[in-house]
Amino acid sequence: MAVLIAPSVILLLLTNAYPIVYAAFQSVHDGSLINAGDFVGLDNFARVLSGEAFWKAAGFTLVFTITGVFGSWLAGLGIALVLQQKVPARGLIKTLLLLPWVVPVVVSSTSWNWLLSTDSSPIPTLFRSLGLGEVRFLSDPFLAQVTVCLFIVWLNFPFMMLMMSAALTSVDESVYEAAKIDGASPRQQFMYMTLPIIAKPTYISWVLMTIFCVNEFPAIYLLTHGGPVGSTSTLVVLAYRTVFQNFQTGPGVAIAFIMTIALATVATFLFRQIRKSRVE
Amino acid sequence: MNNNSSLVSNVSRRGFLSLAGAAALTASLSACAAGGGSSASSGTLKFWDMPWGTSVYATEAEKLAKSFTGAGNVKDVSYQQVLWNGFNETYSSAIASKTGPAVSTGGGFQAFQFAAQGAVEYADKLIESFKSNGLYDDFLPNVLDAMKTPQGSVAVPWAVDIQTLWYRKSVLEAADVAAPTTWTEFIEAGKKIAAKGYYAWGISGGSGNFGPMAILSLMINNGGGLFNDGGDLDIVTDRNTETSEFVIEAVKAGLTDPGAVSLKDDDLVTQWTNKKIGMGFYYVGLDEAIGDNDVVVMDPLKGPHGDTGTIQYVNNIMMYKNTPSQEASEAFVTHYLQNMKVLWEKKLVSQLPALKSIAGASSFTGSQSNVAIVNKWQPIAKTLATKGTQSSAKLAAIDGGQAMADFCQTLLGGKTDAKSALTKLESDIKAVVSS
Repeated sequence: MAVLIAPSVILLLLTNAYPIVYAAFQSVHDGSLINAGDFVGLDNFARVLSGEAFWKAAGFTLVFTITGVFGSWLAGLGIALVLQQKVPARGLIKTLLLLPWVVPVVVSSTSWNWLLSTDSSPIPTLFRSLGLGEVRFLSDPFLAQVTVCLFIVWLNFPFMMLMMSAALTSVDESVYEAAKIDGASPRQQFMYMTLPIIAKPTYISWVLMTIFCVNEFPAIYLLTHGGPVGSTSTLVVLAYRTVFQNFQTGPGVAIAFIMTIALATVATFLFRQIRKSRVE
Repeated sequence: MNNNSSLVSNVSRRGFLSLAGAAALTASLSACAAGGGSSASSGTLKFWDMPWGTSVYATEAEKLAKSFTGAGNVKDVSYQQVLWNGFNETYSSAIASKTGPAVSTGGGFQAFQFAAQGAVEYADKLIESFKSNGLYDDFLPNVLDAMKTPQGSVAVPWAVDIQTLWYRKSVLEAADVAAPTTWTEFIEAGKKIAAKGYYAWGISGGSGNFGPMAILSLMINNGGGLFNDGGDLDIVTDRNTETSEFVIEAVKAGLTDPGAVSLKDDDLVTQWTNKKIGMGFYYVGLDEAIGDNDVVVMDPLKGPHGDTGTIQYVNNIMMYKNTPSQEASEAFVTHYLQNMKVLWEKKLVSQLPALKSIAGASSFTGSQSNVAIVNKWQPIAKTLATKGTQSSAKLAAIDGGQAMADFCQTLLGGKTDAKSALTKLESDIKAVVSS
C-alpha cells in the first residue's frame, strides 16, 4: 500500500510542502531569491509589522475583503432569489450573469481600466455628458478604492450566485408551505427559514471568498497597480512589490506568512460557525 | 440536510487551514517555479532579450543572435524574448532555479542586482579584450564607466536611453510661443499652451516609469538627484525641493492632465499621437514611434541656477555564471556588438547606440532629433546614481520601484508640499535600500 501511494505523497510534498518550507526558510533570512543570505530570526516580521505600508495595505485588504465577500454575497443571493422565480429566459440570463466570472481576469481588469482610466474613457465621458462633472475613478485615491471594491464584487457575484442558487434549490418547498399555513410573512420566511437553511453553504462561500479576496492580485494590479500612492495596495500586492520590485525576499515572504496566519484565523472562526449551524 | 451541507461536514478544520495557508502562500511562491533546462548543461547558449522594438525587432535580433557561429563547446544560440511586464520575476525565478540565460539584455540595473547576488560574471576581461579589436574606443563617452562597481564591470553597454524634452511645433505655434529655454519660460509657455486646450506638459504617473523618470530628469536638470557626492542617499535638498515645487506649480497651473496620476505610459503615447500634448519628456525616437515629424526635440532647459542635465540609462548585455562556456558567452557578446548596427540601419531600436560608429552612421543621423540628442543631450546626461558616481544593486530597487512611483503620483496629485513629498520619498527609499 505504501508503495502505491508513495508517488502521490512525493508529488504532494514537492508541490506543496517544499515551497512552504522554503518560504519559511526565506522569511527568516535576509537574502534574495537566488541567495538565502544570513539568518535573521524574526527581524523580517518585525520590520514588516513596524512599517506604515504594511498597516495601510492591511487596512485596505480588510475593507476590500469585507466588501468583496459581503457585496458579492448580497448581490449573488439577491439575484439567486430573483432567478428562483419564474423569470422569462432564466437560463440565458443566468449564463450572461456568469460572464464576469468566466472571462479571464486579465481581460476584465484591462477592460475596466480602458473604461475608466482617462478623461476620454467611456465612463468618465458618460458622467460628463450627464452633467456629473469630471469624475476621475482611478486618479483619486478614495475613488480608486471604491472602484477596486466594486470591481471585486462585479467579478465574484456570479460565483456567489451559483453557490446560493444551488443552496436554494435544495430547500424543500413543503417547509415554506407549512410556514405559510402558520402565517409567516415573506420577510419572516426569509429571515427565519431561508437564511438558516442556507447557512452552511453561505459560510462555505464566505470562507472561499475570503481566501479569494485576500489573495486577489491580478484584478488589483492590472486595474490600478496598487495606486494611486499605494491607496489600493493590498497585502498580496505589497508582498509582490516587496519581493519583486524592492528585491526584499525575506520581508516579502514574511508578509505572505502573516497573511496565512490571518486567513487561518478567519477560516477557523468560520469553520466553527459552520459546525454550529446544523440545520436539518 | 442539503448537498452543500454534507460537503461541509466532510471537510475537516485542518483541511480548511491547509487550504487557507496554501492559498496565501501560493501568491508569493508561484514565481519561484520555473521550467526549462540549465544553460550550463547544454551546448546551446541561451540568450534572453527584451522587447526593445516591435516584433520585427525580435525577428532581426534573433537572426543576429543566431548568426553567432559558436565558440568553446557551444555550437548554436537559442533566442528568447522576455516581456517587460514582470521581467524581474522572470529573471529572478529562472536564475534561482538555474534555468536562466547565459547572456541577456535586461533592465538598466539588472546586472548590478544580479552581480551583487553572485549570479553575473564580471565583464572586465571581455572589456579588456575590446582594446584589441577596436570596440573599446568605439563606445560613447562615459557609458563603459557606468558599468563599473568596486568589484568590476558588471556588463557591457549596447544602447543608451535618454529622457529628453520634446515638443509639438504646431501646438507651440498655435499658442504663439517659442520653445522654452528655462524653467520660467516653460511654465509661461505651458500656461499659454494649456489655454489653447492642450496638455502643456505630457506626463504619466500610473503604471510604467515615464512619470518618475521625467521628475528625476528635472531633479538632475536642476543639479540635484537622489544621492550626494559620496553616493549616500540625500533627497531632501534645496535643489530637489525647488524641483518638486516646480512640478507642483506646473500641476496647479493646469499644465498637466488632471488625470495624469493614473495614466499608463501607453496612454501618454496615445496623447502624443492624438496631438493633445504640447511638451514633455520622452525617450529617444518619439517622432519615429508615432510617425510624426511635427514632434521634435527641444534644446535642454536651464534650471533656475543655470544647470542643465537629464537622466540616462545605459542598457547593457550581461553574462551569467550559469553558462555552458564563459568563452562562448564572451565571444557571443563581442559578436553581438560588432554586428548590431543592423538594428539601427533598419530603424528597429529607439535608443542611442552605445557605439560611436553606429551613432555617426547616416542611418542614424538622418533624424535631426537623433543628432540633437547625441550632440546636446547625451553629453549632459547623468545616471540614476547621480550625484554619486558609481551605480550599484540598490538602484535596481529604486528604478521602477514603488517609492518613486508614489512620489510622482503625490506630486501630480498637487495636494502636497515639496518638503513632505521629498521626506516621504527619502524614507521610502531608505526602507528599500537599507537591507
